[in-house]
Amino acid sequence: MTDVRAPESDPFDPAAERDDPPRPGPGSPGGGAFGLADWLKWAWRQLTSMRIALILLFLLAVGTVPGSILPQQGADPAAVQQYYVSHPGLAPWLNRLGLFNVFAAPWFAAIYLLLFASLIGCVVPRTFRLAGSTRSLPPRAPRNLSRLPRSAEYVTTLPPAAAAAVAAKVLSGHGFRLRRPAAGEDAGATGETGPGNGHWVSAEKGYLREAGNLLFHLALLGLLVSVALGGLFGYKADRLLVQGQTFADTTSALDEFHPGRFVTGADLARFTMTLNQFTASYISTGQQRGQPSAFDARVTYTEQPGGPARTGHLAVNRPLSVDGAKVYLIGHGYAPVFKVTDARGQVVYDQATPFVAGATGNFLSEGVVKVPDAQPDQLGFTGVFVPTAANVGGTLESVFPAADNPVVSLIGYAGNLGENAGPAQSVYELDTAGMKRLTASPQALAPGQSLKLPGDRGTITFTGYVPWVSLAITHDPGQLPALICGMAALGGLLLSFMVRRRRVFVRARASQPGAGENGTTVQVGGLARTDASGSFEAEFAALAAELKSAHEQAAPGEPAVSPQPEGE
Amino acid sequence: MPVNVALGHLSNAFMIATLIIYSLSVFAFAGDFAFGRPRRAAAVRGQQEARDREAALATVGAAPGIPGTSGSAAAGTAAPEASGGPGDPGVPAASGGGGAAGSMPEPAVPAFRAIRAAGRWVIAAVLLSSLGAAAHTTTVITRGLAVHRAPWGNMYEFVTALTCVAVLFFLYVLIRYQVWTLGVFVMGSIVVALGLAETLIYTAPGDLVPALQSYWLDIHVTAMTLATGIFFVAAVLGAVYLWTDRYTRRVAAGQATPGHGIIRRLPSIEQIDRLTYRTVVFGFPVWTFGVIAGGIWADQAWGRYWGWDPVETWAFITWVLYAAFLHARATAGWRGRRAHYVQLLGFTSLIFNVMVVQVFIAGLHSYSGVAG
Repeated sequence: MTDVRAPESDPFDPAAERDDPPRPGPGSPGGGAFGLADWLKWAWRQLTSMRIALILLFLLAVGTVPGSILPQQGADPAAVQQYYVSHPGLAPWLNRLGLFNVFAAPWFAAIYLLLFASLIGCVVPRTFRLAGSTRSLPPRAPRNLSRLPRSAEYVTTLPPAAAAAVAAKVLSGHGFRLRRPAAGEDAGATGETGPGNGHWVSAEKGYLREAGNLLFHLALLGLLVSVALGGLFGYKADRLLVQGQTFADTTSALDEFHPGRFVTGADLARFTMTLNQFTASYISTGQQRGQPSAFDARVTYTEQPGGPARTGHLAVNRPLSVDGAKVYLIGHGYAPVFKVTDARGQVVYDQATPFVAGATGNFLSEGVVKVPDAQPDQLGFTGVFVPTAANVGGTLESVFPAADNPVVSLIGYAGNLGENAGPAQSVYELDTAGMKRLTASPQALAPGQSLKLPGDRGTITFTGYVPWVSLAITHDPGQLPALICGMAALGGLLLSFMVRRRRVFVRARASQPGAGENGTTVQVGGLARTDASGSFEAEFAALAAELKSAHEQAAPGEPAVSPQPEGE
Repeated sequence: MPVNVALGHLSNAFMIATLIIYSLSVFAFAGDFAFGRPRRAAAVRGQQEARDREAALATVGAAPGIPGTSGSAAAGTAAPEASGGPGDPGVPAASGGGGAAGSMPEPAVPAFRAIRAAGRWVIAAVLLSSLGAAAHTTTVITRGLAVHRAPWGNMYEFVTALTCVAVLFFLYVLIRYQVWTLGVFVMGSIVVALGLAETLIYTAPGDLVPALQSYWLDIHVTAMTLATGIFFVAAVLGAVYLWTDRYTRRVAAGQATPGHGIIRRLPSIEQIDRLTYRTVVFGFPVWTFGVIAGGIWADQAWGRYWGWDPVETWAFITWVLYAAFLHARATAGWRGRRAHYVQLLGFTSLIFNVMVVQVFIAGLHSYSGVAG
């Protein structure tokens, strides 16, 4: 009756110090017919038990590991392709297990859905119990308060009834919920008949701890719902934009479009955007030479077709909000400008061609020029753009990422580009199967220089370069709910760790005969059900001291005389 | 703004001083083990724990009470310096049944008096640790002033800052709970961690790449640094717990003789368990906040708040494992040893994230400043 550590079935209460009660299971002795309903009941009990919740937590932790070790389809499809090439035997099996797309795999979903089912099965009953407990009163004071983890005892000259009243006032002043003995409750229940045995106060405080704990777990549920919301109603798109170019946010103008399940191209934000200028700055001295120090993209955009044109800045960590979508600067590179004249002397190509930086650093970028209109044969070039070229041991290398000494190096091909047959080609790859290589070695060009193609096939001129940026356009309706749920989870966590559920009892008894005429022995006992912060000891000491001084102030006349120590 | 080279050198000099002073403090803590005087306070603590234990084990109404504990606890703390018989920490001293009727909870012994009462080795160790912590803090601050930003932007700075947090936090625990004998383990681990950082991953002061120039960096990485420092202390305490637990079980099985010279002087296994738990409870919300702040930063930088980037994934794994520890402590069969294994597994995943994932696994967080 006085046990505040009383069993509460709360597998999600990390601080509850109790064991799971043994669960009756199938095959347990005494069970006759174990029907389907019993099985379901048993399974539900298992699922909502702390042990299973723990195992699911472990599975969740272990299950995410391959998602960080193996390349993932969502984050880096090219790396997955690479993995297929380097591990031809293993890759199909990993794919069958969903290990290239762990976070969308059915088995992964099974783990977290079971975990959340377990969580619901636990949190919902506890919410009702908490709601109920705010209506019920604290338990009655135990008989011997000195057996509680914290206790104090002193003597006052107040009569027991007045002492209990003073104690009740002090405790209620500290925000405790109180319980005083009801009429006729004094003797019978405690099994002790004695004078003044019925003068006691039970006080309890810290219901917010359980509330915080529940808030934390419910907020986790909310977080899952928010993520699902984003997955169903959000989208993510990519677009590469060369300086000076304009694009409209439609599916045909986007390089990549990953809509949520209930999203179509019609749901896209309807803005247009022009990249006016992009600048990248780099550290030019010291140990970190070549590291980027700042990016800045100036754009002009209209939020709606026909709307007013606005200017804005895009930088890393500084997205632009446009018509409900957010535009992020996520990458950049160089687009050398080429002019190609074919054998007839006609200009068949004159545009900036985005090259993509490779892994070698300092923005050594690779790209492809395809000239389908060239006569008599189609022309193609594979090229390397070197922003700051230097001859290192006979090979061309980039020694700095800024375009201080730009050079392109080209290999020309003539023949059939193969664009009309087979699957759509990447603009970054040249299919040389139907083409003839024109030059044996790569030809390096500085801006303004031209390369005359052998066999009078024309010329290619490297006229200059412009920067490009890659933009991510996202819309995630689950974003704000996720933030709110995250904050709620944190708040709940703090509440449940910082608030302690504690009970304080005060019992006032007339002292034993011989100890003094008017003496009343006041016993104070306290216990904290959970004391993660560990400061209940100090709180109790302060409370006991306050009770004692309140009794001294309320007592008439002379201070209390301590009776002689006696055995209990 | 250019790096202030002079301040950078000053920071490095303070780092060397920190390492030397910490090493001396470990020496002093070890000296306390070897030559320190047996403590009266420990016996008092033992009684207190016996009482807590009893309360935890039995339902209150039916508890077989230890007679007179409320009275003798007060008597014991009254004169910590009084010479008394050696009391084994963790072994509840036989208490006389002198339960006086007027017994009030004793106010906590002031920190200064408690340190003085613990003997000259502990005085020296606490002084040295505090001096070292001051030098350590100066190291971090001068580094920050040298580079004009929060000084936890690469792995070397991160380890320097997190160990500083760990020491400051541990000094608080050390004095608040008077667990002097744990000092040699925690400070020893700090010296090892700092020494490794200094020799293996030293990075000269420098600027940050644009992706790291955000005030969310300060918030996110500060929270992660604080949480890691706190978890560092928890991990050392957990290891001490497991060692003590193993010894206790070996004694129970008759494979070892009771009275191990070092374990005898440690706080009781229950107290180590409780301290570890409270440390994790302190660190867990900080870690949670750090993950949320990281999500906000990721949203600004990359257009999504969560993308299962390898570093995010491992932060999540760490979070799940620490959550599992908190739950395991309340589950029969998992409490104690297994729970602490889970806790250490959580710290392992954290360190794996910092040392391996950020350096060797390509991702958006590859900012360690260490050539991988």
